[in-house]
Amino acid sequence: MAARSMLRSVWSSFAGLKLGATGSNVIFQQGTNVPQLSAVTIQSRGLRQVVEKQEGNTTIIEGHILNSPEAPEPPNPEAKCPIYRWNLQNKYNYTDVLLLSQFIRPDGGLLPRSITGLCLEEHRKIAICVQMAHRAGLLPDHKPKLPANHISKPKQQLNRYLTCWSIDSVKPIFKTGLKWCKRRMAVGSPLLKYNVRYGVKHINIKH
Amino acid sequence: MSSFSRSAQQWATFARSWFLIDARMQPPGKIATMCAIRLQGKHKPIYHAMSDCGDHIVVMNSKQIAFSGNKWEQKVYSSHTGYPGGFKQLTAAQMHHKDPKAIMKLSVYGMLPKNLHRRTMMQRLHIFPDDELPDDILANLTEELPQPREIPKQLSEFTQEEIDAFPRLWTPPENYKMK
Repeated sequence: MAARSMLRSVWSSFAGLKLGATGSNVIFQQGTNVPQLSAVTIQSRGLRQVVEKQEGNTTIIEGHILNSPEAPEPPNPEAKCPIYRWNLQNKYNYTDVLLLSQFIRPDGGLLPRSITGLCLEEHRKIAICVQMAHRAGLLPDHKPKLPANHISKPKQQLNRYLTCWSIDSVKPIFKTGLKWCKRRMAVGSPLLKYNVRYGVKHINIKH
Repeated sequence: MSSFSRSAQQWATFARSWFLIDARMQPPGKIATMCAIRLQGKHKPIYHAMSDCGDHIVVMNSKQIAFSGNKWEQKVYSSHTGYPGGFKQLTAAQMHHKDPKAIMKLSVYGMLPKNLHRRTMMQRLHIFPDDELPDDILANLTEELPQPREIPKQLSEFTQEEIDAFPRLWTPPENYKMK
């Protein structure tokens, strides 16, 4: 009881602190967590880092704004889409995981376009590249969280790459047809057909 | 080589070599073309279809081949036993589960010339699902062939310096909290 009243006084003093550029209380409510009586840093996934310190009888809970390291000047700063700003328009693929990981959530989903600022075509290209990277197993740490009692069925471990379609949605081609009307298997996505290629051959989407 | 004696040069030209290919994360078709060329002997300047000049090829890790696209689900291997109602169709995934060597074997078989030499060439192809090779084959191997496809790096395999060196393309807005 006494601890709770002491904490409340700390919170009220904390409310008066100015946080970063804007001095409003709205932001500090976003980054707060339930205070615990241990000297553990509680990090929020956003831009705030909530740090608890215990000094004798008082617990100080502070919110530090993580300074995102200033990126070097992009080659084309006037463009709206981040990919156009860095002139990466037709140059990335499903293998460029360092690029793709900047647009995904920790559980593997894509961030909304309104937040990342991508234009519609690039957002779709990034989406399909991220899907292909997931299916190729290039993002092993970005799997969705399963509940603790989840028992996964034993699945066949098959290596794959450039899979554009979802695995369960595809049906086997029992009758392929004659050469002039063959039912082809799609590899990769037509969205990436304008990617820069340093060879003579066109990309073959239909195998 | 000019420094070889005549008998050594003769031996080096006409000897049957043993090649090793690691099929891990490789498309079976590309591995099969490399195998077919060397089983026929077409990589040698002394090639002739009648002179039995093919080499031995050992393919390891055939359990870990990688198909592009959705071929594991879409590609169908069909066969007929000859008896009525004996038409069997298996998807690549089912085939691989049943026998991990079969896909590699069938792809090489289809790429060899369709004559009586094909069977002898297939006898010179040795496929292993894992990387455990018997000692007598290990003793015979002369050369390892480079893999046709570059294996892409997973995100966990990048060092922290490489991740930091890559610039942030976009900054999140002030009030955004990632869920």
